Amino acid sequence: MEPTDQYNFSIFRPRNLHGKKNRNVILSMLLIWVVTVFGFQFLLKGIQEPTPEKSLLMFESTWPEAVKGTLSPEDFQSFLRSLVLVRGKNTVKAEEQDVISEAITVAVFDVVPDSIRSDILLLIANKTRLNSELAQVKDQEYLNIKKEITEIDNTLIRFTEPYSGFSLGSLEATLLISSLRNEYPESLSDKAFTKLPQIMKLYLIHNQSKLTDTKFLGFPFHYFYTAVFLLILFIILCIVYNILIEWRLKKQGVIE
Amino acid sequence: MKKIYLMLIMLFSVFTSLNAESLTQLEGSFKTVPAIILIAVLLTFVLVGVFFRAKDPADYYAAGRKISRVGSGMAIASNWMSAASVLGMAGMMYGFGYNGLAYVVGWTGGYVLLLILMAAQIRKYGKYTAPDFIGDRYYSRDLRIASAVFTILISFAYCVGQFGGIGLMFKWILGLNYTWAVIIGSSVVLLYTLISGMIGATKNMQVQYVIIVISFLVPVFIMAFKFDYFWLLPQIGYGAAVTDIVQGIPAPNIADGVALMNAYGHDFAIVPSPEFAMPWDPSTGTTFFQWIAICFSLMVGTAGLPHVIQRFYVVPKVTDARWSVVWGLFFICLVYWTAPAYSAFGKLLSSNPDVGFLAKDAIVVYTAQLGGINTLIVGLLAAGAISAAFSTVSGLLVAGASAFSHDLYVRVINPDSTPKVQLKIARIGTIIMGVMVTVVALLKLGLIAQLVSVAFSMAACTIFPLFLLGIWWSGSNRAGAKAGLFTGTVVTIISITYFIVGLSGGSLPGQELISYWLNVWYFAWIGAPLAIIANIIVSLLTKPTPLEIKKFLAEQVHN
Repeated sequence: MEPTDQYNFSIFRPRNLHGKKNRNVILSMLLIWVVTVFGFQFLLKGIQEPTPEKSLLMFESTWPEAVKGTLSPEDFQSFLRSLVLVRGKNTVKAEEQDVISEAITVAVFDVVPDSIRSDILLLIANKTRLNSELAQVKDQEYLNIKKEITEIDNTLIRFTEPYSGFSLGSLEATLLISSLRNEYPESLSDKAFTKLPQIMKLYLIHNQSKLTDTKFLGFPFHYFYTAVFLLILFIILCIVYNILIEWRLKKQGVIE
Repeated sequence: MKKIYLMLIMLFSVFTSLNAESLTQLEGSFKTVPAIILIAVLLTFVLVGVFFRAKDPADYYAAGRKISRVGSGMAIASNWMSAASVLGMAGMMYGFGYNGLAYVVGWTGGYVLLLILMAAQIRKYGKYTAPDFIGDRYYSRDLRIASAVFTILISFAYCVGQFGGIGLMFKWILGLNYTWAVIIGSSVVLLYTLISGMIGATKNMQVQYVIIVISFLVPVFIMAFKFDYFWLLPQIGYGAAVTDIVQGIPAPNIADGVALMNAYGHDFAIVPSPEFAMPWDPSTGTTFFQWIAICFSLMVGTAGLPHVIQRFYVVPKVTDARWSVVWGLFFICLVYWTAPAYSAFGKLLSSNPDVGFLAKDAIVVYTAQLGGINTLIVGLLAAGAISAAFSTVSGLLVAGASAFSHDLYVRVINPDSTPKVQLKIARIGTIIMGVMVTVVALLKLGLIAQLVSVAFSMAACTIFPLFLLGIWWSGSNRAGAKAGLFTGTVVTIISITYFIVGLSGGSLPGQELISYWLNVWYFAWIGAPLAIIANIIVSLLTKPTPLEIKKFLAEQVHN
């Protein structure tokens, strides 16, 4: 009868020299794999610092004055700019976009004269109507309505430029006029008043570090490492493993 | 292979005979050129399926072990690259920034595990299916049945995401509503799988891989060139686009005296958006823990997916099993290096508020449209995405049908059945599964990548520990395997139950806690280790593995 422990084995307790060497290769590969994938992410986490965007600093320095309604023209532009730059992020959730749009609308309508305000409201109402028509038309009719909307947008930008400082053609101007609502609420709702500072912080503070701020081949380094380098490394690990195993098998005359 | 080349030439001639047309809307209308391309591609698949159709069960399950290393690598890649890879991954990065990269790393890093821990050993063990291996290794009919059931469930969960992706693309091309698009798409993929079986599927997978890669890569080269990035290697060139997103691009954006714009005439400009690239950004609603948990679950799940493991039975030699992983991974990486570029270009091209919220799972096609890419190429891209889903679904349905007919029907219900009956049962199993998946896909339970990740976590908690310990520890016995499988199953059931209750608006004790730490998209981070620990403890406390199993493992599997 054969002894029962003759065939006992585990990856940590191989049966022979070939098994031991095989184990060493496997464990080395696994160690490299774990450290390069997860070790890097832990490093990234370890050295990260919550870093605000400039827009948050602009917002926080102007928000108290905005609440009191005592913003200087320059501070008003900084305040508006900070709102617009968050409104322009397309990761902002719909309900949060509403809060920011409300804040932008109140801020703009507060500073423009009454006559311009009524013109702006009229233009926005027209634009809303055209946008709803746009969904039902095609081809040339679609393009015609698009052209009308663009003209309205340009007029709105010209109306608001002296106050916002956003000139025609700038991204900020486009974002500003797309945020304006077709009603003038006169003051921020309680919900918007409470939520706005939280929303600004949420979207304007990021986990950054030397690894995220360093550029490599145009990428932020950490992004390159994860999206490109790790995949290359996986292929290299596989090739090295195959070569090592086959070299060892050949050396020992093993035919699989 | 000549037949395949001929069909590819026919397909190419269809493309070149068509004129480009311009798209004015992202969604909503019937798109003629993409529809013709889709039909041509599907016809090619069916023809390849007919030419290389299965003649007996051995052909159906394992393609007669006639596939070369590179061919097997292509089949692995094609089988692997599903709608989740082609559509879902870019969508995750578009919506969740850096956390989307956990899918890229998770779905590639798992192949390292698969290679060094499984591929050659599975081939040496010499079984056709995962339940075959588990039933034999653990000398247990119960475990064979349980693993067959899990194989079906995993394939099922995986297919749900694929059918969702097929539905999205059919919806985009045909201008139908989602329900009809899913029903039509599902019917076509079922028909194809029934006609071809795996030998047709394996040949088809090679054709599908070529179509997927060409259709996926070409638009990125064009967009990189058009928007003034390093286009010769856009997989590196888009790095500057990522930095541009982080720092913002002012409008107007002029390059060589020309203003860069998207297809709608919006400036190629964006406000500073570091949340796109910065790790686990709070605004994306994702955390460091989730990154690690998703990545780990996907990696371990990769090494436990029955339809992936099954591919190693179709290579002629053990060494081919190893090298086919390398080829497969390389072919997969070609697409995975490119997917983040879609999300970056998508971010830049959709930054204008007029574009509005875009469905994340269709961002690849929207990006190409917004980038002003020729309709012919966008159509090919959509057809490529459908090819990706088709190739995976056919593999999954075959794996599920194999488990049903080979492991349940033949081994348990009717051992005396003829090959003809077995094939018939496999086909009936395919139809039942296809119909059920279609029904669940219509519920739209999540994003494609998320739905697919359920299958990975399930595989990681159930199949992976059985294979890992079954191959690498002779002490793992039947009782231990049952305990491990039970533990993995319990974790899986808890996670899925909380998910369903949460989705339906209900609440169970600790709903929030469990929904976060045992989330249905990544519960394997704890489920897999627990299953392994349970297996080890119970194995140590119970009757040892029979000598003949230990002997077979030592002599046959580990030389």
